[in-house]
Amino acid sequence: MPHEVAFHGVLMPGLLPVVIGCLLLMVLIDMVAGRLGLYRHVWHPSLFRFVLFVCLSGAAGLLLLR
Amino acid sequence: MSAVPSIDASATAAPRWPWLPGFLAGEARSWLFVGKSLLAIYVTGWLAMWLQLEQPSTAMITVVVVMHPQSGMVLAKSFYRAIGTVTGSLFGLALIAVFPQQRELFLLCLSLWLALCSGGATFYRNFMSYGFVLAGYTAAIVTLPAITNPLNAFDSAVMRVSEVLLGIVVSAVVSDLVLPARLRGVLRQSARKQFGEFIDFVRGSTGGSIPRERMEQAHLAFVRAAVQLEDLRSSVIFEDPEAHARSSRMRLLNQRYMAASTSFQSLHHLINRLQRRGIDDVADALIALYRPIGVALTAEPESAHEPALLAQRLHDCVLAMPGQVASLRKTFTEPSAQLEFDTGAALLQRFARELGDFTTTEAALRKPQLRGSVERVHFRRGNDYAGAAVAVLRTFLTMITLSAFWVASAWPFGSSAMLLATIFAGLLAASPNPVGAVRNTLYGYAAGMAMAGVAVFVLMPGSDGFLMLVMTTLPFLLIGPYLGTRDTMPGVGTAYTLGFLYILALKNPMVYDPEHFFNDAIAQLAGVALSALAFVFLPRVTGSRWHRERQLRRLRRQVTLAAQAPLEGLAWRFESVSRDLLQQVVAHTRPGSDEAHELLAWSLAVQESGRAVLELRQDLAAGELDADGRRHVDAALQAVARLYQSPAAEAWLQADREVLAAISATAGMPRVRQHLHGLRSALHDPDSPLASYLPSTLTEPVDAA
Repeated sequence: MPHEVAFHGVLMPGLLPVVIGCLLLMVLIDMVAGRLGLYRHVWHPSLFRFVLFVCLSGAAGLLLLR
Repeated sequence: MSAVPSIDASATAAPRWPWLPGFLAGEARSWLFVGKSLLAIYVTGWLAMWLQLEQPSTAMITVVVVMHPQSGMVLAKSFYRAIGTVTGSLFGLALIAVFPQQRELFLLCLSLWLALCSGGATFYRNFMSYGFVLAGYTAAIVTLPAITNPLNAFDSAVMRVSEVLLGIVVSAVVSDLVLPARLRGVLRQSARKQFGEFIDFVRGSTGGSIPRERMEQAHLAFVRAAVQLEDLRSSVIFEDPEAHARSSRMRLLNQRYMAASTSFQSLHHLINRLQRRGIDDVADALIALYRPIGVALTAEPESAHEPALLAQRLHDCVLAMPGQVASLRKTFTEPSAQLEFDTGAALLQRFARELGDFTTTEAALRKPQLRGSVERVHFRRGNDYAGAAVAVLRTFLTMITLSAFWVASAWPFGSSAMLLATIFAGLLAASPNPVGAVRNTLYGYAAGMAMAGVAVFVLMPGSDGFLMLVMTTLPFLLIGPYLGTRDTMPGVGTAYTLGFLYILALKNPMVYDPEHFFNDAIAQLAGVALSALAFVFLPRVTGSRWHRERQLRRLRRQVTLAAQAPLEGLAWRFESVSRDLLQQVVAHTRPGSDEAHELLAWSLAVQESGRAVLELRQDLAAGELDADGRRHVDAALQAVARLYQSPAAEAWLQADREVLAAISATAGMPRVRQHLHGLRSALHDPDSPLASYLPSTLTEPVDAA
């Protein structure tokens, strides 16, 4: 993936679409986990979700923008 | 303390300061909030400087505006603020692209946009309204500083949006991760309390008769609970994915709760009327029929409010009901008594079914896992266009006055005054007493700016580095969030912090300019004061006598809507809008006053008649009727709609006549006939406010058929 994305003539960092994609992925994960009550098994659900998001976007960023 | 004097005072082990634990717990909560706010403010400031954003102070101000002791509130506020910010900055960019050289047209359009945004804000409760205010305010933030240099507008917009979003993200992360205060517990607790209270009330009233006074109080409590639950739900879904997954079920639960409480009231009014008219045998038969519901709801104390168990028992009770109805009906021989009994029995079975649905939904919500999906329903609000129009006009006049003054005087700091007036005219439009709120804000703002003056000219020049910055500003900044947790002076704390951070205008490297400082301070204070002036000249209509009467008319018109609006989703809409309207108006009346009493009486009448009208329309839609019956029922519905639209003796007579005609025209349709009879009996209720339009000659009226 390119390091900079042109959106209607405006240059944006390539990380931005990756992060937005990860946000959407998090919404999906939240929907599934919320219905199944999976977050009840976690000590600090919001910390877990935050870290999961950081891991996802970090991994995706490293893999896609190397 | 015991009444018996003890010999050894210390042996009783009474705490020396009984208020101390409560005080300490309250202080701990306050200081936790102060700590989290300051942490978020400084982290944002540091990140903004590290990312080399133009104005770190904008990001820090965002944190102040978004911070709230409850995490769910912060996340909800952040979500809507982000939407508002992006919308506002896009509009600002478009505006500056269209009118780069035309300051009059530009300011006119900006004022219009701000006015429309603050009008839109009055349509929503909660933080959605906040998103509207922010959409207006961000357009001003983006465009006003760039107005002298339109080529810079795009960069300026990008900077402002980045700063605001940075502030939002940091405050959301801090308040959600660091010792979060969850709203979900509050929601769960109040939902359980609501469920328990409703079940207890239903169980406790199997005697049949409830005085009107008590029914009014109970109705008010049920309405409050329903509206409050919806308010909480709309914030909690941001905090907790599990709550989010349950959102549509919670909405359904609330709707079923409202439907069941309407049926419950209608049933009791019917029994009361029968008893009052001396038809005790029918009333007693209905009470006998009602008793099994009470028995089904009576469980062992430890499982008294266990919805799964109650749902099962209610289900059995509903199944057994037709048999009981048939056996009780045999005791009546006269057709009029049979009609009375059938009407009551149908209502009772409807209530039992709805109560069963309500408990089933509650039981499903308490399970750890969800299965399947449910019908999507919405809690509609009763919005007032007059209130919105006044808000639009007020903001527009404020902004256009300030713009004209700015253009005419070439005031270098006019944009600061405009910005501040924008913020507070929008933010405080929803407060119950805006003039008082602006006064509080003005005091807080002035105090914050004075403190910032000390910090920026006495302490900061000798300091160096971020740590020193924290040390010089922390003692002053502590005061704001702490005051924000006290209820005695609402608004002062936030205004203090805002004033402090705004005028501090942190930059990296820091700029010290006393002339700019004082000019800006004067302009900002003038902006705040001008928004107060706007509230004095164009006061808020909400809560005024005119507005209350208007809302009462709208409440009555809900019956008209029930009779005329398209049937799709109307039942849910009727139940929620009529309750929301009552809740809005009742907040502005004194409890126990004649006005509050009248309002509640109307609300009960509207619930009962509106529901009967809806049932009738569903019968019509089901196509059970022949053409003649359909025409008569339609005429009856329209007559009732007119009666509620403008109540008068004439309209009452007309409605009564039409309903009676419809009853005789639908002899072969027991269901429709029962609904019509229920409607007619509601019209004749001597306790309802419609009774004042009743002709005095009609004393013993309802023996129809």
